[in-house]
Amino acid sequence: MATDNDTLRGAGGPWRWAGVGAGALVYLFLLLPVLVIFLSAFSPEAYPQFPPQSFSLRWFRAFVDNGAWLRALQVSAWLLLVVTPLTTILGTTAAYALARLDFRGRELLQAFVLSPLIIPQVVLGIALLYVLTAAGLAGSMIGLAIGHTLVALPYAVRTVSVSLASMDRRLEAASMNLGATPAYTFRRVTLPLIRPGIVAGAVFAAVTSFGEVSVSLFLTAPGTVTMPVRIFTYIDQTFDPVVNAVSAVFIVLAVAALVLIERTIGLTKAM
Amino acid sequence: MSRAAIAGRSWFPWLMLTPGMLFLIAFLVAPGLLLAALSLRDVDGMLMLLPTYSFSQYIKVFTSAGYLGALGTTLWVAALTALLCVLLAWPAAWLLVNTRSRAWRTVLYVILISPLLTSVVIRTFAWIVLLAQNGLVNDVLRKLGVIDSPLALLWNMKAVIVAYVQVMLPFAVLPLATSLGEIPPALPRASQSLGAGARHTFFHVLLPLTVPGMMSGAIIVFALAAGSYVTPLLIGGRLQPLLPINIYQQALQIADLPLAAALSLTLLAVTALIAAVMSRLQKQWERRVYGH
Repeated sequence: MATDNDTLRGAGGPWRWAGVGAGALVYLFLLLPVLVIFLSAFSPEAYPQFPPQSFSLRWFRAFVDNGAWLRALQVSAWLLLVVTPLTTILGTTAAYALARLDFRGRELLQAFVLSPLIIPQVVLGIALLYVLTAAGLAGSMIGLAIGHTLVALPYAVRTVSVSLASMDRRLEAASMNLGATPAYTFRRVTLPLIRPGIVAGAVFAAVTSFGEVSVSLFLTAPGTVTMPVRIFTYIDQTFDPVVNAVSAVFIVLAVAALVLIERTIGLTKAM
Repeated sequence: MSRAAIAGRSWFPWLMLTPGMLFLIAFLVAPGLLLAALSLRDVDGMLMLLPTYSFSQYIKVFTSAGYLGALGTTLWVAALTALLCVLLAWPAAWLLVNTRSRAWRTVLYVILISPLLTSVVIRTFAWIVLLAQNGLVNDVLRKLGVIDSPLALLWNMKAVIVAYVQVMLPFAVLPLATSLGEIPPALPRASQSLGAGARHTFFHVLLPLTVPGMMSGAIIVFALAAGSYVTPLLIGGRLQPLLPINIYQQALQIADLPLAAALSLTLLAVTALIAAVMSRLQKQWERRVYGH
């Protein structure tokens, strides 16, 4: 492996170091804002400070003491509990069908399933707003759950598809040759084999739901304000350093999700 | 019986397809069709729906310098974001593929994927903190003596593009890294042993082979940037002439839903068309480079 990589590095020497430097700068650009936000959450000042001059949990306490923030957390947590299993089931079954069906137009079907990722989010938001208003579901938790599931579905499908593509299909064939029905084979052979992909897909669904804002803004009502929507309103209208603490909590959750993905399927394989 | 025959004869995969399809038909296709119907409705002076249908909303969109300008700006900003993302994705993907230590590679992956896992409001907030009057960027510039008084870095399109690039860069790096990782090491080795220099090998061997990866990244970044309103609204302000901001305001603040629907479908049609052309070019390039 090592020698192969050396070859891919090209001529080595100055070119190689220029490449490493440029790459490192790009990663710094990706990391810096998140780092700044995280560290400044621990500064007691009323405006985010970097680097922080002193350490305090003041804004975390303010977050926990604020009923409205906690209600938003509740709404987001409820959504997460509904959206994650729903998206995982829809995503796993769809990914399985896409991997096993073989017909003309399969690629088109796949593009259709993944399309919520590409369709402008503002368009998804307004289309759902219109339909859910007609159904009397605008501003309801059910409406939000539908919106979040729609946005998270492509991520779940993609992650499960990766697992399906790398599993040994001869195991399925063996099971069916021995007389098992396709449903039994799916339950007892396929499902256990692709479990890491399903877990990673569930993590992606949960994280997407927890952070979703573009579609939520169209579907939320005063009683169903999610965490990201509340953050949006705060940044948009006033400024409150509690947002720093909330962001730090989000970042910790993101890292926890990354660890979970790494443990189950490995980060390199998940995407 | 071959595997394909078993799979092909079974109704089971079709059954598995049903729940997802029903969901997408109910909450993606139907809303889309209803939105299209809504965009053909006429409204009275109070924005109440009239019982008639016409192209009046589209005529409003396509005869307004404001909306056409906003569409142009949206496409231009999205294209610029996609271009910058692909340029920055190259060194990032290259470093990812060529890092030998597993620990370092995991660190790079964490940095790459963590933006996807942190809400866009938080990443946008981070840029507001960085670019504010008393933010880190102004602070550093002042301490270095580059500037005397803080620059107004927020509330303009440049700030929007910087934030866009950071938010969407991972979508460009991941497909490019896949593309780069799939190149057999023997190819650049062969090129160099045949006497090609590093630069020639890069431009004539590596770069053409990674065009599909770059295109995949560019398409997704372009689509994401063209449809997003949260980041420009928070960083650029309400007055930025971007179509998604117009749609958001028409729908939620002015409550002119038919006009918002017409603007939405215009945006959807134009971005879908551009994405389709780009992916067609990508397929052609793949055929040219890989010969199939």
